[in-house]
This record gives sequence, C-alpha cells and structure tokens, in this order.
Amino acid sequence: MSEANIEGNTGGAAPTRKEPDHIRRVLTIWVVLSIVGIVIWVIVSPYILPPSASDIDSAANFTLVVFTGLSIPVAMFVFVFLGYSLFVFRVKGRPTEDAIPLKPRPGLQIGWMGVTGALCLFLLIWGLSAFYQQTASAAVSPLVVKVTGQQWAWTFNYPQYGASSQGQLIELPVNRPVEFDVTSEDVLHGFAIRALGVRVDANPGEVTTTPITTPTQIGQYSVACVELCGLYHSYMWSTVKVVSASDFSSWIISQGGHP
Amino acid sequence: MIQVQARRSNLLNQLFPSVISGLVLGVIGAVVINIIATHLQLADQPANTDAIVVATYVGWVIFFFVGIGAFNGVWKWGFARRDATSAEELAIAGHGQGLWRYFRYTTDHKVVGMQYLATTLVLFFLGSMGAFMIRLEQAVPGAIFFTPSTYNTIVGMHGIMMIVATIIMVSGPFGNFVLPIMIGARDMAFPRLNALSYWLLFAAIPVFLSTLFIGGFPTGWTGYAPLSDQILTPGMDAYCITIILFGISTTVAAMNIVTTVLVLRTKGMTLARLPIFVWGVVLSVILGLTAFPSFIVSQMMVLGDRVFHTSFFIASYGGSNWLYEHLFWFMGHPEVYVVALPAMAAAAEITAVFSRKTIFGRRMLVGSLITICLLSVLVWGHHLYTSGSNTALDGPYMLDTELISIPTGFFFLALIGTFWRGKIWVTVPLLFVVGMLVNFVIGGITGIYLADLPTDEILHGGMFVTAHFHFTLVGSMVVGFFAAFYFWFPKMLGRRLNHSLGVLHFWLFEIGFLGTFIALFYAGLQGEPRWSANVAPSYATANLIASLFAIVIAVSVFTLVYNVVTSVARGELASADEWGGKTLEWTVPTPVPLENFAELPVITSTPYEYGLAEPADEGFGLDAVEVPAQEVSAQPQSQPESGA
Repeated sequence: MSEANIEGNTGGAAPTRKEPDHIRRVLTIWVVLSIVGIVIWVIVSPYILPPSASDIDSAANFTLVVFTGLSIPVAMFVFVFLGYSLFVFRVKGRPTEDAIPLKPRPGLQIGWMGVTGALCLFLLIWGLSAFYQQTASAAVSPLVVKVTGQQWAWTFNYPQYGASSQGQLIELPVNRPVEFDVTSEDVLHGFAIRALGVRVDANPGEVTTTPITTPTQIGQYSVACVELCGLYHSYMWSTVKVVSASDFSSWIISQGGHP
Repeated sequence: MIQVQARRSNLLNQLFPSVISGLVLGVIGAVVINIIATHLQLADQPANTDAIVVATYVGWVIFFFVGIGAFNGVWKWGFARRDATSAEELAIAGHGQGLWRYFRYTTDHKVVGMQYLATTLVLFFLGSMGAFMIRLEQAVPGAIFFTPSTYNTIVGMHGIMMIVATIIMVSGPFGNFVLPIMIGARDMAFPRLNALSYWLLFAAIPVFLSTLFIGGFPTGWTGYAPLSDQILTPGMDAYCITIILFGISTTVAAMNIVTTVLVLRTKGMTLARLPIFVWGVVLSVILGLTAFPSFIVSQMMVLGDRVFHTSFFIASYGGSNWLYEHLFWFMGHPEVYVVALPAMAAAAEITAVFSRKTIFGRRMLVGSLITICLLSVLVWGHHLYTSGSNTALDGPYMLDTELISIPTGFFFLALIGTFWRGKIWVTVPLLFVVGMLVNFVIGGITGIYLADLPTDEILHGGMFVTAHFHFTLVGSMVVGFFAAFYFWFPKMLGRRLNHSLGVLHFWLFEIGFLGTFIALFYAGLQGEPRWSANVAPSYATANLIASLFAIVIAVSVFTLVYNVVTSVARGELASADEWGGKTLEWTVPTPVPLENFAELPVITSTPYEYGLAEPADEGFGLDAVEVPAQEVSAQPQSQPESGA
C-alpha cells in the first residue's frame, strides 16, 4: 500500500493523521540487517566451525554455512517486525481504545505459504542430494575398519590387514577412502568422529556401515561416544591419526598386520 | 465434653480422607507389600530385586489412593447402594473447606488447576536445581564435583522432571482452571477423573524421587534399552513406574479435557468461536492421546525384560534396541508439540489482549495448529537418522519434519500480524511472549539442521541437540508458560504480581538463557557429545561461559520465587478483568466462585472483537490504512511479497 493511497483516502469525512509508511520502513530495516547479518556470518563462520579433515565433513560444514546464511533473513524478519512493532506501536500504560482490526488477505497467506514452502523444498532437495551423493560416489575398495563398542571403550580391527589396534589410538592413511563397520557388544553406543563427518550408532547385534569418507588432512582427531551408554560414557574417548600412506603401512605392521 | 468429641471427629474428618492419610496409608502399604514380596522369594534362587521394587511401588500407589479417599464414592455407590447427595457432591468439590481443599481428593476444576500449578512450579524448581548441578559439573573439565554415576542420575532426573513439568505446565494449571471457564462450563465433564489425573501425577513424584535412595538410574531421561535392561540398577524400576503412572495421568486428563470441550460448551460457543487457547489445549491433549500409550508400553516392556526376563530389547536373545528407540520417539517427538501447542495458543491469546486487536488470521492460526498436530505424529524417525534402522524412510521423515515449518510459519505470521499496528501495552506477559517468539525462531531454525540429513550426520547426539531442544522447550515453551503464568496469575490467585520484579525476571532469564545455550550451540558445532560428566578440555571455554550465564538464570528463578511469595502474602488485590481481556474467564468475579457462573453466558461472537465489529480486510503487505473495509479491499495489491 503506497503513500498515495493513504493520502487519497484521507480526503473523506474523517481526516486521519498522516502515518509514516511503516511497511516500507520495516522492510528496509529488514533488508539492511539481513545483508549485514549474512556478511558477518560469511566472515566469521570459518572461525566458528571446526576445521574439516574429510570430504564428507567439509560438505557438511558447507551445508551448515548455507543453511545459516539462508536462515538469517528468516530470523531477521521476525526480529525486525517484532522490534519495530514494540517500539513504534506501544502506548504508554493501559490502552484506552482498541486498535483497528486487521485480517490477512488470501494473497498474503498464499504468498507466505509459497515462500515457506519453497524454503522447505530447497532444504529437502539439498539434504537428499547431499546425502545421496555420499552413497552414489562409493569407492570401489575402501579401507574397512571394524569398530566394536563395549562399556566403555572402542575396539578397532583392520580385516584387510589382519590387524587389530592395541590401545585407544588408530591411524588412517590420508586420501584413501575408508568405511567403518560399527557394532556393539552390550548396549547402544554412538561412534562419532566430528572432523571426519562420521557419526553412526553402534547397535548390539547389528553392523551399521558408515558412508565412505576420505580423510584429506593429516592430523590428530578425537573419537567420541555420542549415545549415553552408562557409567563411564563420557570417558569413552579414542584418537584417530590421519597419516601419510607410508606411516600407515609401518603402523599397521606394528599392530600385528601384514602389509 | 460433647464439644471436644465434635472437635475430635472434625479433625478426623479433615485428616481422612486427605493427602496426609494417603501418604500414611501409602507408606504402610508399600512396607507391607515389600515384606510380603521379599518373603515370597524362592530360597534356592537369587532374589528378584526388581520384582520386589515394582511390587512395593504398586503397593504404594494403591494404598495411597485408598488413603486419599479415591474409592470412597465407589464404595458408597456399590455398598451403600445410593448415589451421592448434592451436599456430598458439593463437599467433594471443596465447598466450605477453606485451604484444606487443596490437600484433598477435590473435584473442583479450579482446585485441580491450582494443584497442577503448584506442582509445576515445584518440579521446575527441583529440575532447575538439577540443571545448575549439571552446569556446575560441566564448568570445568573432568568429573570433579560428582561421580559419573551421580552425574548420570542428576541428568536423568533433571530431564524427566522438566519433561513432566513442561507437559503439564500449560494444559494442567490453565487447561484445568481457565479452560472450563473459557467455554462457559461449571466444571469439567468428569470431575472425579480430573482429581484422579492430578493425584496420579502426585503419586508418581515420590516414586521418582525414591530412585535417589536405591542407586539412581544410568540412562538419562530417554531410558534407552538395553542399557535400561542391565542388572543392578533398581533405580530404573522407579523410572519405569513413574512413566507409566504419568502416562495414565495424562491419558485420563486428556480424555477429560476433550470431552469437556466437546460436550460442555455454553450456548453459542460454537467450535468456530472457541478461544484459540482452547484449541491449543485440545489439540495438545489429542496429540498426547496418540503419543503417550507407546511410552507406557515401552516402559512395560522394559519392566518385562527386567522383572520377567523377557527379551524385547536384548539382541543376544533376538530383541532389538531399535524397537525401544522407535517406541520412545513415537512418543518423544509428538511430545514436543504436546508441550508447544498450548503455549503457542496462550501466546496468541495474550498478544491479542495486549495489542487490543483481533488475532491476525484466527482461522489460519487454528488451521496451522491442527496441521502441526497432524504432521508431528509422523516425524519421529528423524531421531534415528544415524541409528541405521530406517535408511529408506529417511527422506520422508525429513520431508515431514521440514513441512512442519510451514504451519509454524503461519503461527509467526499470525502473531506478527497481531502485533502490527496494535495498541501495544507492554506488560510482563507480553514481554515473555516476545521472548518466546525470539527464542522460538532460533530453536526452530536449529531444528532444521537436525532434521536435515547431511547436518544431522555431524550434530546428532551432541551438545547442539541439547542446545536446540532447550531453545524450543525452555526458551520458547517455558517462556510461553511464564507469559501465561503472569497473565492468569491475578485471576487464579486473586493477587497482582509485582511488575518491576516481573520485568527483572524476564530480562535476567532471557539474557541468562541466550548466553547459556548459544555457548552450548558453539560447543555442539565443535562436536562435544551430550551427557558428559567429563567435559573434554577442548570444549572447556564454551562450557564455562554457559555455566556462568546459568548463574544469571538462577538469579532470575529466585526473583520469580520472591515475587510469587511476596505477592501471595501481601500483593495488591486483582480486579475481575485485570487486563481487559474478552474471554469468559475475565467476566467472572475474582476469586472465581464454585461453579464459576451465576448464570451461564450466551455467546454471540468470537472473544477477539476489538475495535470494529468486522475486521477490516488487510492489504497484501502487512500495512493497514484507517479506512472502511470495502475501500481497502478495492485497493490494488501493490505490495510485493515479503516473507522470505
């Protein structure tokens, strides 16, 4: 509704005080704050998100960046309209008269539904395609690591090398696809390596296979249990070291494996 | 002499039946059953501790209800073979019993509402003590203050007490006290069931607290099997019995509320004219009726595994932990909306009153609440993306979960539109509504991250989840409860709460809340797991910040307690229509008399007729012009759509 329409209507019997164009003001504030918010997010997100050490994890981190960027205008819409209403339309003390009732036109409702629906559709398509990319691009012969959770430690086996790790540190070769086959001996555990984008439940009596992930960064990352599994759940930490192929060969031999 | 005898019989009449006789008889019953069950154990086999514990709890419940007089009416009806006289009906509704009526098996819906309110506040207080203990432990790396076993029990008790409190917090106090008045009824449809639902909840509380004395339970509030099946944890039985009692209590209450709204509406109170709050509560309890049975059943199966050595959830005997997870989350996710719907509806109600403006798109809002109710039944699978149990259905679960954001978007449209160009009276309830909306946006958006497959893959089971559901359950719904609490307190208690203390409570709570849980969002993004007594050093800073902000929340809690206590003791008397609301509860005197209405009202319109009789047709954008309706609708729809 433009300024001209309002002025045109004030020519009638009941002249109204000239109102500022609230809609234009609030939308301007919204656009400005959204842009500022998105810019700030793009600048600070590398410092907020932890570094990724695998293809899957960097894809997931990128999804986080996109979703957050997308949600800034949505959140700002609510914040700006609420804040504007509270500051501009508040009355001092108990109101003595009622406000003018408004009701939404069908166009507003349908448009609102269209926009939220489009956002939903985007999220769905993004999520599905990101997820199925992981399974579609499965490597032919990934390194298989068998992971067994029990109260309250992880056991790791490398069946392709006939090795099983001694202790709570394992190594993975960089740039080689790896797949974890996870199971549990007693109760539900959750096998998670945040930096590699690996997270799957360890179910007793079932073997769950993670999507194939390729470590891309040499370094040391922590393995956590993310399902409450009893007394020492929060002590169930292990370490995974991503190393060069030659370092990995010598480590796997030291764990009793064959090259 | 006669006087003394009369006084003595009076005292006896007061004590029996009441909660005191219930407690006494309940404890005696529990002890007796415990002794019997212990002696029934076979000598040549190891004692079945779980059977003894369960039998003791059952004894407690049955004898508690005998003691409180739940069966007195049935007894008279069956053995004296007569219906209750109207004097007896009045007595059981609490007529002429003063404050003592709050401690008896009283059927008056206002008494039950007050009982629920007191219980909610007590549970919130106990639960938040648990929260502060958790923040204390997580403030520094390593398990310093509590043993891991104690910590797990604290987390579980905090979880269950808060979940129970949030489920009852709006539908219990306000759904019982305000809702019947809102629809123009003299009481609930089944007053005795109403009392039963409250006292079942009450009976569950000592059962739950007793877990502390028999070793606690290791599972947290989710009670995941097969961890809950493991032996030497009798505290787990307390958990199961608590859930079963609570499930029956909510089922009874839900049937009662649905029947009341369907049957007891006053003349002219058509479904189309129902206040939005009534819609919210009814939809919430209907959703509860579909959700809670699976929770009850899952706990009965756990008890079966524990007591009778069945193997529903034990993999080595052919059971599956996925069965538990599905049963649990079939309750667990709709449960969030059971909490949300009445709080959202109350927020809409409050916004209309303090904007002096009809709800923007009331039918749209009712439709969105109904849609949320329907969609939320089928979203539970998004808790199991990483479980490996349902890969083929992950897509549909994701779709359904994200579809919920569409009706939720309409809820926001309705509330923003109600604020827009209102005559906004900034009161404490309205402040809490604003806080709720702000937190709900954040909570809702972070929910998308967990509903979407690629991001759930790095966030599931972590602190991000904890922060997310605290944003929805606490930041949105408990803050919504606070709004409703400050709104209806003058009607229920007949006293005003101190405005400045209320404002202080709001700001302390909101600042403390945002600080705590934004810090935990950050920790979750880094990959910190949930349920950790032993915080890893890399997450220490974020957790310390969260703990420091939790102190602010603690101060706000004590502000609230101080405000409530002083205003009940010496607050100003509230008027009948404290805020200028138009729903029926503001038309009856304060304090509300027994049976509410001298004469039942006749309804001719919706309760939101502020300003013009007929709402003006609104423009395509959100702006309004002060012109008659027909002229507005004649305007071209020039405003671009702005709901991105």
